[in-house]
Amino acid sequence: MNIQEYIESGILEAYVLGALTEQERASVEADMALYPELTREVEAIEEAMQLHADNTSVAPPAFMQEQIWNAIQSQAKTEEPANRVEPLPMSRETEEPKVIAFESPKQLPKPAWQRAAVWAAILVSVGTNFILLSQRNKTNQDYKALAAKVDSMNSSQSQMLAKVEAYDHERAMLADTAMKTVIMRSAQAGKQMTGMVFWSKAKGESYVAIHNMPMPPQGKQYQLWVIQDGKPVSMGVIDNQLVANAGTMYKVPMTVTAGQAFAISLEKEGGNPTPTEVMVVGAI
Amino acid sequence: MPPVLTYSEEELIALLRQQSREAFNYLYANYSAGLYGVIRKVISDEQTAQDVLQDVFVKIWNNIEQYNPGKGRIYTWMINIARNAAIDKLRSKGEIMKSKIHGGEEVVYNAQKDLKTEVATDTIGLKDAVAELKPEYQVIVNLAYYKGFTMDEIAKTLEIPLGTVKTRMRHAMQLLRQFYNK
Repeated sequence: MNIQEYIESGILEAYVLGALTEQERASVEADMALYPELTREVEAIEEAMQLHADNTSVAPPAFMQEQIWNAIQSQAKTEEPANRVEPLPMSRETEEPKVIAFESPKQLPKPAWQRAAVWAAILVSVGTNFILLSQRNKTNQDYKALAAKVDSMNSSQSQMLAKVEAYDHERAMLADTAMKTVIMRSAQAGKQMTGMVFWSKAKGESYVAIHNMPMPPQGKQYQLWVIQDGKPVSMGVIDNQLVANAGTMYKVPMTVTAGQAFAISLEKEGGNPTPTEVMVVGAI
Repeated sequence: MPPVLTYSEEELIALLRQQSREAFNYLYANYSAGLYGVIRKVISDEQTAQDVLQDVFVKIWNNIEQYNPGKGRIYTWMINIARNAAIDKLRSKGEIMKSKIHGGEEVVYNAQKDLKTEVATDTIGLKDAVAELKPEYQVIVNLAYYKGFTMDEIAKTLEIPLGTVKTRMRHAMQLLRQFYNK
């Protein structure tokens, strides 16, 4: 087999992208076991897809962490009875258990002082246990509070890092004097909504930021438009994350070199070819 | 600051096998966004994507004993669990739609329709290296990786020869590898 040809055929890419049938998969895996060069190539392609997953990562909503942990826990609980090992019966080879008769306690009545000492010992022991237990509870609570603090500090740290990054980007963008600021105002009576587009005509680059627009209802999404010679041209649908992060600027992937106005409309999920319900609009 | 910032893959696997809360927190902190991003590429509906994410974590948790380090890195293993779970969900939805609306039409048709709306309108706010590729490469990566199409199905859907699908796959991945090696 010519390894180089095999690699260049694209079958390993198809393998990593999951585009092979079961049989093709099995045969590629068999070849990989024989030729380490193939395994190395597959690992390199897989690494690109790992980096791609990091690059397209989307943080799930914060409540998911606890929800998923609870799901894992409750699943473990329902599975437990099936997994539980039955206690082993005592070995049957051992002879009959010997029964040792207790002596009757009536024979020797204990003196009063002895009884008093026993009671005192019991009281001390109960008291000590109680103190130790409450101390332990306190330590546990302290520990939990501390762990929660560390958790929240971690998340606020990463939020701050993200903010710093965003500010840095904004600063560089605002320094670009060719950048035009277009404020889009509400097109709906009685609703206070604003959005902004920063547009560099020369570079064709634009950034969008949402200011106090409500989260689109289920199954709907906002869509950004540029009006070119009276005709709306879609610049893409807006991820709901953008609506949640009001005021943050996002780069629009599409290049725009001409236009008279920008607008945001409410559309069905995935967008529409023409706008149906315009929310905000701003002339350039 | 947590006492340990990152674990090697071996340490992570050992940690996961302990099944502790600490293991879960680490797993979630480091991998949930990557996996959720993959799922969202397959399924645009947030609620459905969240359900899939939960199933995926439960699966990772319960099947960690089945992970074989000899067959690739653990991140790839987890990504594939996420991708397969999301594609399965997409298919089950496509199947439902199919039986409801049309009688004998192919699942491919639904997936293709779904894809068309996604290609026509980029989602702003998600930086994406695949989106930087030429459309003919993009569509192949997206159909295979995010919609679960085989090469044969891609060839039929796009009406191009099977050989072209393969060479474009090779080329698209070469470009992606260059992009990430910058």
